[in-house]
Amino acid sequence: MNITQESAFRTCSVTGLRVHLPAQKLIITNAVAAVVFLLIGGILALLIALTRWEVVQLLPADLYYRFLSVHGTVMLVFWIVFFEVAGLYFGGTVLLNARLLRPGLGWFAFVLMLAGAVMSTLVTFAGGADIMFTAYVPLKAHPLFYLGVILFAVGALLAVGLFLATVIVAKKEKRYTGSVPLVTYGLIAAAIIAVFTLVSGAIVFVPAFLWSLGIISSFDPGAYRVLFWAFGHPAQQINLSAMVAVWYALATLTTGAKPVNEKLSRFAFLLYILFINLGSVHHLMVDPALSQANRIFNTSYFFYLAVLGSLIHAYSIPAGVEVAQRAKGYAKGLFQWLVKAPWKEPGFAALAVSFVIFGFIGGTSGVIQGMQVNMIAHNTLRIPGHFHATVVGGTTLAFMGLAYYLIPLMTRRQLVGKAWASAQPYIYGVGVTMLSLGMLWSGILGVPRRTYDIAASSAGVAAPAYAGSDVTLAIMGVGAVIAVIGGAIFVGIAVLTLLTGKKMK
Amino acid sequence: MKGEKDNKFHAPGTLVLAFIFLGFFIALYFINWVMLSGTWAVR
Ligand code: HEM
Ligand SMILES: [Cu+2]
Repeated sequence: MNITQESAFRTCSVTGLRVHLPAQKLIITNAVAAVVFLLIGGILALLIALTRWEVVQLLPADLYYRFLSVHGTVMLVFWIVFFEVAGLYFGGTVLLNARLLRPGLGWFAFVLMLAGAVMSTLVTFAGGADIMFTAYVPLKAHPLFYLGVILFAVGALLAVGLFLATVIVAKKEKRYTGSVPLVTYGLIAAAIIAVFTLVSGAIVFVPAFLWSLGIISSFDPGAYRVLFWAFGHPAQQINLSAMVAVWYALATLTTGAKPVNEKLSRFAFLLYILFINLGSVHHLMVDPALSQANRIFNTSYFFYLAVLGSLIHAYSIPAGVEVAQRAKGYAKGLFQWLVKAPWKEPGFAALAVSFVIFGFIGGTSGVIQGMQVNMIAHNTLRIPGHFHATVVGGTTLAFMGLAYYLIPLMTRRQLVGKAWASAQPYIYGVGVTMLSLGMLWSGILGVPRRTYDIAASSAGVAAPAYAGSDVTLAIMGVGAVIAVIGGAIFVGIAVLTLLTGKKMK
Repeated sequence: MKGEKDNKFHAPGTLVLAFIFLGFFIALYFINWVMLSGTWAVR
């Protein structure tokens, strides 16, 4: 089959979108891999959360640290990036009416990513990398752990390159007119940040790999930290850009909203590309290698320009929905447009809940903790409290919302359990909100993160009392159970649709 | 003039939401310091 031929396309009977079949296969495969890792990470999430809930303390200490290590990597890297690759291929082909340039390269990238992800996950489960997400040197893992991460990063880099090439060629072949749609534009922003991120990832993990093999005798921890955060923080900005792109997509899909000022929205994505990477320095506030001026500029002035980008999106998305709803006749008073919004549509529910959790909990805690109280929040549960609101309540939920449309469109199968899909964002949202608030609040009370037993009962020293943390950790624990139930509903719907969904014509 | 008017959009509800968010942030900002002062009291 010649992949440039028209016969390599089909036209979706519901949306009228033209789907490039080789791209479709890759989208489905990457999304399936993503969901499998989400499932693994979700099971571990429950186990570690029930361990941190001090009165339950489910796991023994060694398994807690091991599962915490797997949970962090599997969720924040494998689930998210596999899904993002699926999203990139979707935004680069279907939304542009274009073909995927080199499907073979896409498969090669997928194999590298999968091999790398499986390798590092297995090594960690086997006890070869109990060093948690940040893998700070001089904590040392088995060489295959680093190799796995490197393979994954190289594969992801190839996928990002394939996406960018596809977009460029689509323009050359005049598959679309004018500028790219805003959603694709946001994905391009994410892809550009991804190039920087993944190259940094390679730069930090290659020497770590050699060091763990014994070829390099030492790896300076200060240098490691700077390089690691050139990967770790920008990676979150890929997630941010991709999530905002998905928000625009969901708003259009479920309410017909159009960006109220498209140029401004594009400018806001530009702010992400230019400024948000510099915010990485908030992880390095006491690192002696960096000058004070560097730290002050990057964590205050430049950081705020990136926040400005988010504020622009935060205004323009609901405004777009409001304008669209008013045009439909829901124009009474200030809020009829909101009351009459399609709250039972899974995509809108996911958009709304993700938007509120991200903005009201994730964004605010990030701005407050990232700078002024940085040192007081450092290494307390406030940190995971913040990023479970951004990357779980925000990004993960937005991706789940998109999946409810992507899966039927790509597999031509009807979504199984639409009513469950409508309720899922709310259940997940309540769970993640409790989880995050429980963590944030515990952290304010001083409860450390990554700590098996805050009473330090086996250490023979008097630990702080953390008065009130019994309540806040219980909020976290109950929230975790609800969130995992919400996550399980999503995985159930996705898997059942894929396997048993009714075939659509 | 007419072109300018076409560019205007009408979203008063969103503006109110933006101010609710601002108020929320201000409240949170102060609660943050009040709560931290309890944990890190100068004794
Ligand atoms: C139902 C959902 C989830 C629950 C209940 C949950 C729970 C937890 C808990 C209890 C911790 C350990 C905090 C500590 O002891 O320091 C943790 C850490 C973490 N979680 Fe989650 N989580 C969930 C979903 C996710 C998702 C979807 C992601 C990423 C997209 C994620 C990323 C992380 C990361 C990066 C860490 C830190 C690992 C480390 O400290 O090395 N989590 N999570
Ligand atoms: Cu960061």
